[in-house]
Amino acid sequence: MKNTRILLWISIVVVIVGVIIAIRYANSGGVQKSASQAPVLGTAKIGAPAPTFQAATNHGFFDLTKADKPVFLEVFATWCPHCQRQTAVIDNLYAKYKNRVDFVAVTGSSVGMDHQSPASEEDTLTFVQTFHVQYPVAFDGSLGVAKEYLQGGYPTMVVINGKKVVTYLTSGETPYTELAAALNAAL
Amino acid sequence: MGAMTLIVRVLVGALFIFAGVAKVGHFNDLAAAIAGFRILPEPVVGPLAVLLPFFEIGLGLYLAAGLFTRTAATIAAVQLTVYAAAIASAVIRHIPANCGCFGPQDQVPADWPHVVVDLALAAVCVLVARRAPGLFALDTRLRSAP
Repeated sequence: MKNTRILLWISIVVVIVGVIIAIRYANSGGVQKSASQAPVLGTAKIGAPAPTFQAATNHGFFDLTKADKPVFLEVFATWCPHCQRQTAVIDNLYAKYKNRVDFVAVTGSSVGMDHQSPASEEDTLTFVQTFHVQYPVAFDGSLGVAKEYLQGGYPTMVVINGKKVVTYLTSGETPYTELAAALNAAL
Repeated sequence: MGAMTLIVRVLVGALFIFAGVAKVGHFNDLAAAIAGFRILPEPVVGPLAVLLPFFEIGLGLYLAAGLFTRTAATIAAVQLTVYAAAIASAVIRHIPANCGCFGPQDQVPADWPHVVVDLALAAVCVLVARRAPGLFALDTRLRSAP
């Protein structure tokens, strides 16, 4: 009975010490700030009219209301490894579809590439250079596009057809074939 | 019946240990998975992501060894019910959250089958708690110790 009591107290102390260590470790940068933030959840839905947006990209100004082609929109975070890997896929799509589809990628996180500092224009350009991004990219400090389109995870990719209706919406790393099929369906 | 409790106890314990070990060292992925459910405030997410893997491993060890079996099984049942409730809440709110149950490789979206599995496991833990400690449990040894 005495041994049981000792073990019980040891267990309780270990849990309490564990909680304290976890709090200290997490707050000292052990867990990245970006990871603890739930991404905003957009209102866009497949089959619904696409919320209008504008973006000042590194290729020029984009305005959805003035787009006369289907649109491929990506909402991403510079710190997100899935988004970093997805750049190669979107670059391939861009190479094939850029004459028939408007591409635009917009930042959707308030946290920068180092997972700690605030997102910025400079941070976005660093992302473009680091991952050799060919398609138009814009920094959106207000997260206005993310609030409309982000679907709970980075990257969120959206296809908007010529009638300005959302025809495809997905989040997470997505293969070329699936995205190409979504674009073909919108053309 | 003691043998059955032992088998179930060890299997559920092993499941908890496996789930915990798969998460150790992937605190950021786990934090992102927890944050994705949009239930807990941001300051809680980080510490929970650090603590949870070790808590699951510890709980699994207690269950497998049959130490404080009734309490460990009850805590496991509560934990699994909380998981089920969190997943159900995400599904109902149409939030595309990742389960993250078995570490960063587990990118399966949280869905109703997950809720059913978690509730079934919780029910199993309740049974273990009721029939605790079962064969070869440390609880029995400690009780019989002088």
